[in-house]
This record gives sequence, C-alpha cells and structure tokens, in this order.
Amino acid sequence: MRSIKHFIEQSWLLITAAFLCGLLLALTNAALEPRIQRIEIGEMYDKMKSLMPQADKFEKVIPQAEIAGNPTDVYEAIDKNKQVLGFSFVGTGYGFADQIKLVIAVNADASKLLGFDVLYSNETPGFGSRMTENWFRQQFVDAPTGTLELIKSGQADKEKDQILALSGATVTSTAVVNIFNNHIGALKKLLKEKGLIQ
Amino acid sequence: MAAEVNEINLGRTFTAGIWEQNPVFRLLLGMCPTLAVTAAVKPALTMSLCVTFVLLCSNISVSLMRNLLKPHLRILMFTLMIATFVTIADLFLKAYAPDMSRALGPYVALIIVNCIIIGRAEACASKNNLIVSITDALGMSVGFTFALCVLSSVRELLGAGTIFGYPVLSNGWFTPWLSISLPGGAFLTLGLLLGLINVITKRNK
Repeated sequence: MRSIKHFIEQSWLLITAAFLCGLLLALTNAALEPRIQRIEIGEMYDKMKSLMPQADKFEKVIPQAEIAGNPTDVYEAIDKNKQVLGFSFVGTGYGFADQIKLVIAVNADASKLLGFDVLYSNETPGFGSRMTENWFRQQFVDAPTGTLELIKSGQADKEKDQILALSGATVTSTAVVNIFNNHIGALKKLLKEKGLIQ
Repeated sequence: MAAEVNEINLGRTFTAGIWEQNPVFRLLLGMCPTLAVTAAVKPALTMSLCVTFVLLCSNISVSLMRNLLKPHLRILMFTLMIATFVTIADLFLKAYAPDMSRALGPYVALIIVNCIIIGRAEACASKNNLIVSITDALGMSVGFTFALCVLSSVRELLGAGTIFGYPVLSNGWFTPWLSISLPGGAFLTLGLLLGLINVITKRNK
C-alpha cells in the first residue's frame, strides 16, 4: 500500500502532464489534419494535371493499391469527351539522402510514359535536386514502358529506353530510373487484372 | 530598490542570449539545425521561428511547475513538454507553410533534441520565475535567430548568389560557389564566423 502511495506521489505530475500533452496533440491534430490532407491531395492533383494537361478530371480507379510494395492510389485521367487519357500513381524509392516520391503518368493503354514530377525528395541541392529540371524529366516523356536503361554520358536514345544521367548525381538518377523499372511492370499487371487495359 | 535590481537583471538576461551567451556563437548549442538548414535565409528564419515558439512555451511551462518538479523525473518532464510543442509546431508548418515544411524535412522534429531548449529549461526556467524565464527564452531566441540569419545570408549569397531567393550576385560575373550550400560549406562558414566572433570578443575585453 505504501509503495502505491509512493509511486503516485512521485509520478502524479508526469502522468497528468502526459495526459494533458496527449490531449493537446489530439486537439491540434484534429484541427489541422483536414487542411494537411487537402494540401497533399491538391498537390497530387496539380502534378497530375501538369503531366496530363488535357485531363478534365481524375478518378480514383484503384484505391490503396500496392505497386512494387508501396501503397498508392491509382488515378484515371479523363478528358472533356470522356476519353481515358492515361493513368497516374505515386512511385516511391530511395535516393541519395532520403525517400523520393514521384507522380508518374502513363498513357491510356500503358504503352508509353507521359512523364513524372517530384512529389517529395530531399536530394543534395545543386546535384540530385536537379532531377526536377525540364531536360531530365522530358527524357521520360513518350518513352516506351519497358525497362529503362541509365547511361552516364553520350546521347540517350529514347527509342532504346535510354535515359542520360544527371552529371554528379548518379545515385539520384539511378533511383529515379529504378522507381520506373520497379513500378511500371507491376502497374501494367495491376491495370490488366482490373480490366482497365487490354 | 528591489524593482530596480530586477529590471537590471531582466535586461542582462535578455542581452546575454544575444551576444555574451549567444547559443550558437558562444555556447555552441543547437549545432544540428545551425548546420543543416542555413543553406538559404528562408528555411533558417522558419527554423528560428519554430525554435522561438518551442523555447518560449517550454520555458513558460517549466517555470510554472518548477516547484512541483521531482529532481529525478525533471528531464522526462522537459522532454515530454518539448516533444509536444515541437509536434504542434510541425503540424502548423505542414498545414500553413507546406513548402517550408518540406524544405526543413526532418529538422523540425529534431528540435526536440536541440540542446538550447532543454539547456534553458534546466539552467533557467526550472530555477526562476515566469518573467525571468520568458525574458531568457526571448533573449536566447533572438540570439539564435541572429546567428542563423548571419550564417544563412553568407551561405545563400555565396552558394546561390541570392538573398531570400532574389538574385543579388547573378549579373554574369559571379559563379555560384555551390560547395558553400553543401554540408561542408556549413562547417567552413560556421568555423570562420566563430573565429571572427572570438576576435571581436577578445578585442572588446
């Protein structure tokens, strides 16, 4: 009995503070969570729209899919004439310093890439961070959805699925190419399973 | 008379944090954010703002409960409160400044282990009244902000030729010195600044 009293005497402040802090965090989270989610979804829509500018709306066709072990929603882009323009999802992989999350788009029969945009990255400024540069991203536009090959110098041949690496940022370039190689095959399989492509 | 003594102490407490006991330049505390987020002025200012919020809240709450703290549980209490305030700051950044939240990455959450905050809780707030604790938190925050601003201005100017993202040194003759933006550049700039501050302090003695 004495030990319980001793325990409470010693720790009542800590226990009360833990409850109060928990409550404070729960309240703050409840107040801000919808806004944070809206920002994240809005950002995803903006990136998809920039990859498929003709799209009128994006429909979540496969919610919470698992592509290459990473959870993502798969969206279908539809234009004003109700034609399917392509599919988009988030591909994840590890770069030089941290995770890289890319919004990737493929065309309506998943035969060609429509490009990518960076949703999250923490690559070295001036080196890996240049993966957002237009010339690097343009290499992926209209490339076939086979296995991509990274070359370190020379002229990349798009028909042969070649991608020219960013100089001084081989790890980041490899990570981006690997994200495509890991996800695109799995995406095609998933779309076929769901009957969304032939 | 008592009020006068108190006033002098308050003024000293405030200015000590800015120069004599500047957390970065004199006490060498909080080195992690100092080195990590000072490649540009904007993230450095955001980090300073977050640290100010956390330091102020932590000093206030520690000072208010200083008579109830059990010596062997005090560090646990400090960490609990600091972690709560940091998480709140992190959520606010995510909701209202998503770009900055992304730029600062894991370093906002790492404020929890920033020695300035737990150091001030231990050295000042757990022994002094509310007014002194608030003054101390404000002084230290201004000192931290000052240090981060100086460091990030030098690094952004030399590393990218810009200040606040606006081009200053980019009219052709200046080639951005990229390595200053990288972690090595942070150590180099900080080392040189510390040397400079030591020279100034010695001369003033």
